[in-house]
Amino acid sequence: MDRGSSSNPGISHDLPVLRDCINNFGSIANMSDVQEATNQLLHVNLHENQRYIHVTESVPRSESEHLRVTIGATVPTGFEQVAADEVREKLRSSCKISKDRGKIYFDISVESLAQVHRLRSVDNLFVVVQELKDFQFKETKEKVLKDFEELAGKLPWSDPLKVWKINTSFKKKKTKRKKLNQNLSKEKIDNGGDKRDERDVKKELSNNALDSHILDYYEKPAIKEEISTLVGDVLASCKNENDESSKEDTDPEVLKFRVTCNRAGEKHCFSSNEAARDFGGAVQDYFKWKADMTNFDVEVLLNIHDNEVIVGIALTEESLHRRNITHFGPTTLRSTLAYGMLRLCAPQPSDIIVDPMCGTGAIPIEGATEWFNCFHIAGDNNPLAVNRAANNISSLLTKSQIKEGKLSWGLPIDAIQWDICNLPLRTGSVDIIVTDMPFGKRMGSKKRNWNLYPACLWEMSRICKPGTGRAALLTQDKKCFTKIHGRSIRNQYVPLTGIEPSTLQSAG
Amino acid sequence: MKLLTHNLLSSHVRGVGPRGFPLRLEATEVRVIPVEFNPDFVARMIPKVEWAALLEAADHLHLAEVPKGPTQGYEQDETFLRKMHHVLLEVEVVEGTLQCPESGRVFPITRGIPNMLLNEEETET
Repeated sequence: MDRGSSSNPGISHDLPVLRDCINNFGSIANMSDVQEATNQLLHVNLHENQRYIHVTESVPRSESEHLRVTIGATVPTGFEQVAADEVREKLRSSCKISKDRGKIYFDISVESLAQVHRLRSVDNLFVVVQELKDFQFKETKEKVLKDFEELAGKLPWSDPLKVWKINTSFKKKKTKRKKLNQNLSKEKIDNGGDKRDERDVKKELSNNALDSHILDYYEKPAIKEEISTLVGDVLASCKNENDESSKEDTDPEVLKFRVTCNRAGEKHCFSSNEAARDFGGAVQDYFKWKADMTNFDVEVLLNIHDNEVIVGIALTEESLHRRNITHFGPTTLRSTLAYGMLRLCAPQPSDIIVDPMCGTGAIPIEGATEWFNCFHIAGDNNPLAVNRAANNISSLLTKSQIKEGKLSWGLPIDAIQWDICNLPLRTGSVDIIVTDMPFGKRMGSKKRNWNLYPACLWEMSRICKPGTGRAALLTQDKKCFTKIHGRSIRNQYVPLTGIEPSTLQSAG
Repeated sequence: MKLLTHNLLSSHVRGVGPRGFPLRLEATEVRVIPVEFNPDFVARMIPKVEWAALLEAADHLHLAEVPKGPTQGYEQDETFLRKMHHVLLEVEVVEGTLQCPESGRVFPITRGIPNMLLNEEETET
């Protein structure tokens, strides 16, 4: 890859934004400046890059540098191993996969917190306060709840809270920038979004890298259709950010918190609400925090699975799901799920990866972002879907522009309008197929699926390269699927919760 | 639509089969959009490329400096790889048409997206 060597981190780099960050390092004296500089890096680092990791290490030493904590992450159930692989690859940490489905745990030093947020296979993150592997639940509810109350005061809160504090300052900076960008985009809408000349775009880019993505965004005529949706989204999130800023104004000394309890197991004599209530009461007495179920600073997690009790503090507010998709369709797939499915197929450099029923393009977009040494094709028969996918791709183009300061750069991805039952692709030309098959509940019907699936599968196997071709197909309709595909396909069922889809990995 | 994509597309009009490749490309609007150069990607892609189809498409777009085929030791030849990178990934057909060489059926390309949908009569049953 044409990215130069990684031995000399920030200095030889060409990014104007990053250069400013590095200049700032010279004047760093205390913890808050470290956070500020790291935050700037976090904003620039929208994309995984070895060199950014090295730059973080050059931040001057501070007391929290030696802090190691255990992080818990929720992942789509069935994808625990995939997520563990990603953690091993990117954080060089090994994972423990919990018996409580959909959770993995790994240790990191606090410096790596920014990289943890960039994991693509995880939904939510939390820092573990304590793991109690074999909690002895007493016989009566009163005794159990009393135990929880007493537990609050005995837990090692201080390090996890330090992590929470660092994490919160990451998020605050991110919110402020998001607000800035969205105010700019709102102005653009008011001005009628006039088409800009390439030269003008370039001139303005040199003034402000952040503005550039707005200008290019409106260059695409397809965007105009979506403007009414965008205005709605922008106004909605501006509103949210106004709420957030009023949160910031309140007394910093008294934090607001809530306890969320998830309980699974047959032998418990108490409910999750009761546990949350009593544990929460004790937490409140211990810290003198204010309890607030909706507008909280700290979310304490009490996860109980049979005899295992894990207390944690949440590090993410909303799920990391919707990362790349700015235009939602009726059935947009979670980015974490898209990532997991792609990763299952182990893409190799120069692989051709196709999603023949792409919808809004969640899977190919995730693919083009993370596996940029492959070529991605997003196809759908629905013109609305293809347009949305193309819009999402355009938005992605602009993120990559900001990141590298590169003007109007493209990505290895294309969109095509086609019929899944008649794919206009050469036989045996595709290495990987990853797709979310119509579920029949939100789109189409179960009856249509009976007719659709054989034709789809036939075409998909035709275009797939013999021998090395592989596919990951997400389907809810297991019965229909099992009846149709033949003995030659090797399966790996990965059950998911929620809408009970199953993923198959088959060799072509 | 990039030329790499064109290289994968084949007409699926009923009865046409492999004679539906390559689609004849005409363009009324073409853009060059730079893409990050990845020599490893290009080198591995070379053996997969259908050269005749690529050359024909490049010719229709009046592209200059298109290599006629893989040279000896192309994997290390950066000049060659950069030219191929440009042809395959950086030339975008924004408006144009793709025509089935056998049936003559024309598929439009609008805003960079080819529309390959067929009518009922045209598809295989």
